[in-house]
Amino acid sequence: MTERLLALAVVAASGAYLLSALALPSGTPARPGPGFFPLAIGAFGVVMALAWTLSAFRRVPAAGGHPGAPVEGFGRVVATAGALVGFCLLLSWVGYPVAALVFVAVLLRWLGAGWKSALVIGLTSAAGSYYLFGVLLNVPLPRGILLD
Amino acid sequence: MGPLEGLAYGFSIALTPGNLLACFIGVVVGTIVGILPGIGPVGAMALLLPSTFALQPATALIMLAGIYYGSMYGGSTTSILINVPGEAGSVVTAIDGYQMTKKGRAGAALAVAGVGSFVAGSLGVVGIVLASSWPAEQALRFGPPEYFALALAGLLLLSRLSGGSVLQAFVLVAIGLALGTVGMEPISAIRRFTFGSIQLSQGVELVPVIMGLYGVAEVLLIAEAGLRRAQIVSVKLRELMPTRTEWRQSAAPIARGSVVGFFTGLIPGPAAVLSTFISYALERKISKTPERFGHGAIEGVAGPEAANNGATAGAMVPLLSLGIPFSPATAILLSALVITGIQPGPLLISQRPEVFWGVVASMYVGNLLLLILNLPLVGVFVNVLQLPQHVLATLVLLLCLVGAYSLNNSHLDLWVLVGFGIFGYGLRKLAIDPSPLVVALVLGPMMEKTLRQSLYMARGNVLEILTRPLTLTLLILGLAAVAAPVVMRRLRRRPVSEAPAQPAR
Repeated sequence: MTERLLALAVVAASGAYLLSALALPSGTPARPGPGFFPLAIGAFGVVMALAWTLSAFRRVPAAGGHPGAPVEGFGRVVATAGALVGFCLLLSWVGYPVAALVFVAVLLRWLGAGWKSALVIGLTSAAGSYYLFGVLLNVPLPRGILLD
Repeated sequence: MGPLEGLAYGFSIALTPGNLLACFIGVVVGTIVGILPGIGPVGAMALLLPSTFALQPATALIMLAGIYYGSMYGGSTTSILINVPGEAGSVVTAIDGYQMTKKGRAGAALAVAGVGSFVAGSLGVVGIVLASSWPAEQALRFGPPEYFALALAGLLLLSRLSGGSVLQAFVLVAIGLALGTVGMEPISAIRRFTFGSIQLSQGVELVPVIMGLYGVAEVLLIAEAGLRRAQIVSVKLRELMPTRTEWRQSAAPIARGSVVGFFTGLIPGPAAVLSTFISYALERKISKTPERFGHGAIEGVAGPEAANNGATAGAMVPLLSLGIPFSPATAILLSALVITGIQPGPLLISQRPEVFWGVVASMYVGNLLLLILNLPLVGVFVNVLQLPQHVLATLVLLLCLVGAYSLNNSHLDLWVLVGFGIFGYGLRKLAIDPSPLVVALVLGPMMEKTLRQSLYMARGNVLEILTRPLTLTLLILGLAAVAAPVVMRRLRRRPVSEAPAQPAR
C-alpha cells in the first residue's frame, strides 16, 4: 500500500517536473540550453516512475502483511511528524525559544513522558540550544514574543 | 612529494593542537553516534557540517572524517553487547558477537573488534596513499566527457549495489538529479523550478535533505517502535583480554577483512555494509569449522569489523583523488571541501597537500585514539544508551531543526528537512536505501555541466563523444553492472542444451 501510494506520488511529481522542463529553452544538441538536462531527467524519471508503479501494483502483497491494517505505533509517527510541522509553523510566529519548548514538551508527552519531566526537559533543551546556537554560534534565530 | 615524505608532512599537520582536537571531537562523536541506534554517521556529519564553515579546510575534513570512521567502532559495541547494531555496518557483527557475549566472551569480542578496526584503519591509510596518486594523475587528462561518464557509471553501479530493486534506485537517482537542477542555472542565469521563490533560486541544500533522510526518518522509526530500554551487560576490564587461541583465530580474518573492505570501499555503493557481508561469507567459506559461525565464532567478528573500517578508508580514494563522492558520507565531506573554498579534483593532492596528507595522517591518529578510547572506556560509552529513547529522539529532532535552520536562516530548509524526513521514513518502511538520491543530488550539477560541455565540444555529435576510449569503457562498465544480473538470470533459466557452447566474452 505504502509503495503504491509513494510510486503514484512520484509519477505525479516527475510528470509535473517534465512539464515545467518543457517550458525551458532546451537548445539544440550542439548548443544545449538550460532546459536540456532537465528534459532528459524528466523523461527518465517519468518512465522509471511509471515502471515502478506498474511493478508495485502487479506484485502480490507479502503474505504476512495485512493491507490496510494500521501499523502498531503509526500514531506515534504521525504525532512526531505533526510536531515537526507544528514547529515550522510556530517558529516565525512565536520565535525559537517558545517554539522549541512547545515542540520538545508536547512531543515528549505524546511519546509517553510525564508532564513534569516533559516540561523540565523542554525548558532546559530550549534554553540550552538557544544559548548554543543563538548566542555562542551567532545564528539569528527568530527571537519572537518572548525576547523582543 | 613521495608517500613517506607526504605522510611525515601529514603528521606535522594532523598533530597540531587544533587538528588533534578536531580529530578527537570527531572520533568521540563518531563513537557515540555509532552506539546510538537513532542517529548514524551520515546524519551526524550533516548535523555538524555547518559548524565547520569557519574552520580551515583540513581541520573541517579531519573532524568530519573522524565521525565517519569513528562510528564503525561504536557500532560494533552495541552489536556485541546487546544485539542492537548502532549502524548498518555492524549488523553482521551482531550475529557472532552477541553469541560471544552470551557465552561470557563479550570482552574478547570487543577487544578483537577494536584491534581489527585499528589494523584495518591503519592499513587503509597506506592503501589511500598508494591508491590515490594513480587515478589523480590519470584524471588530469580527463575532459568533460570522461567526468560525465565516470559520474554516470558511478550512479549506475550504486543503483545496482544499494540493495532492493534497480528500478527503485533509478527513481531515486531521477529525484536526486531533478533536485539538483532546482535554482539559478549557472550559464544563462535562468531560474529553474523555483516557483518565484528567491530562496529556491539558490538551489536545494544537501544538508537538510541528508538530515531528513538519515536523521528525521530514523527518529520516526524509533517513534514507531515505541519505548524501549536496552538491557546492558557490564563488561569488566580484565575480561577484555582475548585468549591466545582467540588471537590466533582472529589474525588472518582481520588481515583478509582489511583487504576486502578497502577494495569494496573503492566501488560506488554502500561499501561499509557490503564489505561486512562479503567478509563474513568469505570467513565462513574458508573456515575448517563453518558450523561454529552463528554460535560465537570470533572470526565472524574479526573479519567484518576489519572490513567496515577498511571500506571507510577505501571510500576516501575516489573523493580525494578525483573529487567525486560515491556515498552519502563522502558527499558530505565533498560539500565541506567546497564550502571551505577548495576545488575538489585531481589537483587536490598537488595543490592542497595539507588537506590530502593532513586528512590521511589524521585517520591514522584517529584510529589510534579510537583504540585507546574504546577499549578501556567501553562501559562509559555504552551508558549513553541509558538515556531514554523518547528523550533522545526528541533532542535529535530539535538538533536537526536548529541545524537545518542555521544553514541559511531560512524556513525553506526546515520544510525540506521535514519533507525528506517523512519521505525517508516511507523509504525505510519499504526497505529502500536512500543513498542513490543523495549521491545523484551531489553529482547532478557536475553531470549537467560536463554533459553540456561535451556536446558543445563535439558540436552535438554523440558518436564523437562515445568513441573516446575511456568514456566508452566507463559507460560500458556501468551498463554492464546493471544489465549483468538480468542477463545471467536469463541464461540460467535457459535449458542446458540451448546454452551456447562457448560463452561470449
